[in-house]
Amino acid sequence: MPMPMKKRTVVRIAFFALFSVLALCVLPEAVRGANRILPGLSPLLNLGGALGARRFIGLLWVPLLIVPLFKGRLFCWWVCPMGFAAETASRVSPSKLRLAKIPWVGKALALLIAASAGAGYPLLIWLDPLCIFNGFFAAWRQPVTWATATLSAGFFSILTLSLIIPNVWCHRLCPLGGLQEWLTHCARAFRGRGKGASAGDTASPCVNRRVFMGFAVSGAAGLAGSKTLGVRQTTVVRPPSAAETAFNALCSRCGNCMKACPYGLIVPDLGETGIDGLLTPVIKFRSKNPKQEKFCFQECTACTKVCPTGALHALSVEVKKSTPIGVAKIDKAKCIAWEKNEYCVVCQEYCPYQAVTEEERNGVQCPSIDESKCRGCGACESQCPALPIAVTITGDKAARNG
Amino acid sequence: MRTMKRRSFLKTTASVAAASALPAVVRAEDEPAATVVVVHGKDIPKMLEAGIAKMGGWDKFVKSGAKVTLKPNVAWNSKPEEGGNTHPDLVRACVKAVEAKGASKISIPENTCHDENATFKTSGVEEALKGTKARLYRPAAGDYQKVDVPKGQICKSAEVPKDVLSCDCLINMPVAKHHSGATLTLSMKNWMGSVSNETRRAWHRDGLHQCIADFSTFIKPKLVIIDATRILLTKGPQGPGDLDHPDELILSTDPVAADAYAATLFKKEPFDIPHIKLAHEAGVGCGDLGKVKIERVEA
Repeated sequence: MPMPMKKRTVVRIAFFALFSVLALCVLPEAVRGANRILPGLSPLLNLGGALGARRFIGLLWVPLLIVPLFKGRLFCWWVCPMGFAAETASRVSPSKLRLAKIPWVGKALALLIAASAGAGYPLLIWLDPLCIFNGFFAAWRQPVTWATATLSAGFFSILTLSLIIPNVWCHRLCPLGGLQEWLTHCARAFRGRGKGASAGDTASPCVNRRVFMGFAVSGAAGLAGSKTLGVRQTTVVRPPSAAETAFNALCSRCGNCMKACPYGLIVPDLGETGIDGLLTPVIKFRSKNPKQEKFCFQECTACTKVCPTGALHALSVEVKKSTPIGVAKIDKAKCIAWEKNEYCVVCQEYCPYQAVTEEERNGVQCPSIDESKCRGCGACESQCPALPIAVTITGDKAARNG
Repeated sequence: MRTMKRRSFLKTTASVAAASALPAVVRAEDEPAATVVVVHGKDIPKMLEAGIAKMGGWDKFVKSGAKVTLKPNVAWNSKPEEGGNTHPDLVRACVKAVEAKGASKISIPENTCHDENATFKTSGVEEALKGTKARLYRPAAGDYQKVDVPKGQICKSAEVPKDVLSCDCLINMPVAKHHSGATLTLSMKNWMGSVSNETRRAWHRDGLHQCIADFSTFIKPKLVIIDATRILLTKGPQGPGDLDHPDELILSTDPVAADAYAATLFKKEPFDIPHIKLAHEAGVGCGDLGKVKIERVEA
């Protein structure tokens, strides 16, 4: 290491603590958006997401494209909290396995993510260490369930890998590290050429044929992804402002939105959205989560403000109120009013959008959904007294439009 | 001896007849089944003061050191003027009054329908309670206690906030408004904003009006104050909808009588509201306005 160990350790611990606090989402609501800072630093997440989502989402990623040109992997050795955890695990590992024969997978991953993002469908964006670190903290929100805990899987995987093969993450696997390796090489090659370096040095990764091929293949894969997986429809309910296409690719699984939701409505998906949608955020109302008695409150925009990749984007309260996330469907055969002829219409009582209309039948008001007004907030579902629940939200776009 | 006997017989007969006739006369004229005080005015604190004075003063309800629990309706993220919630001025006036009487603890547990933070703020009640010792909160699971409702026909048990169960003085202070499911929501219906979500859902499932009446056989507020300063005529219980402004507070110790009077503000026959009729029949109070004394006060 180029710097004295002790000073570096102190700095790393300080950054680790700082980013942990941000990721824990314990800050007051006004500065809650600060937990976007850490994942936002990664060009793979932030710029990659912006390219994929075709949305501008800030410039936090700029330093990490510039610093490596002059200082190599300064960020990795001094700032990165995931790196600190991996390094610590490596240090305590008794394993004697060496890195020598392992290829630099992270560099290939960096290419893949960058090129596929350019093509509109960022592949494997969720391997970014900063979102993995973030996901670890997002997993421990109340109530902790197996589903929420899965978000921490990446963090534990990296620690485990580091115990088996010390330093393998930072030096061989990390895509963010890989990206910085590329940039460092490019800068070195550029400076070398200026000094009249030998032909060997100019075989730099910037112009290397393998790199070009990598870009081309990754770009094609991204394009293919955006045309197939990206436009596939699901019936799950996504958080408000979720990208209509390519959501699974754009989402880095950082868990910020899940952590931000004050009602615990957003949980990691465990298969409903396909293998490429694993651990992406979905909203589960009461019919899918019996203990859930909350709904997507019309004035809350918390989840939309913390996404580092543009899978979600910040909404104003006014826009949020007019943004549907799904649509309510009443199953008349289960409905207390329609089926049992009892006084009820709790769905109408709770609806914040006056989207439940009533018609009188045998002296009892019976509910119907006005789909033009329904936003799919789940207020109706949250308190429907019928067993099983008669009114449920579907994220099915066809149903919403139909 | 014989005359004495006859005379005593006559006397006895006469006194028995008089004794049996007398209560009937008194009940019909001097002692009605219930009294409802209706205060008309614009200034809510003044109206409350006048109403309570007519009811016999706060001393009748609150002793020094008493634990007081209020049940206003603060269920919806709606503004005071929209009539979805009890007016914050009324909540404040009531809290200040019981504070002045030396209440040791003032609790306002409310199982809000909308997000509690937003609801408490938008309703104006949070602001109204600033500087008082009252605690407005949404009960967590541990704040509820399951209780039996012995006289309930359908509703046999309910989960009720502990502060509602264990206080010395319980005051029910709903807002009168239209309700899509229950026709009107007045004082007895207001307890649905207190019980747990599970209990609420069970009432809807099992028969809403009977369950409201059943619970009223159990819960005994010392005082009912219905906010009818403005009443939501349509789109209740949440609103916004059409409003009327009776500018009235309705006070009584009999929830059925208070509700029966409030129903007339909506031009409804009290017994057309099923839970008023059921509660009357169950002996909770008197919903027959012919037997209720209405005392009007201007403030």
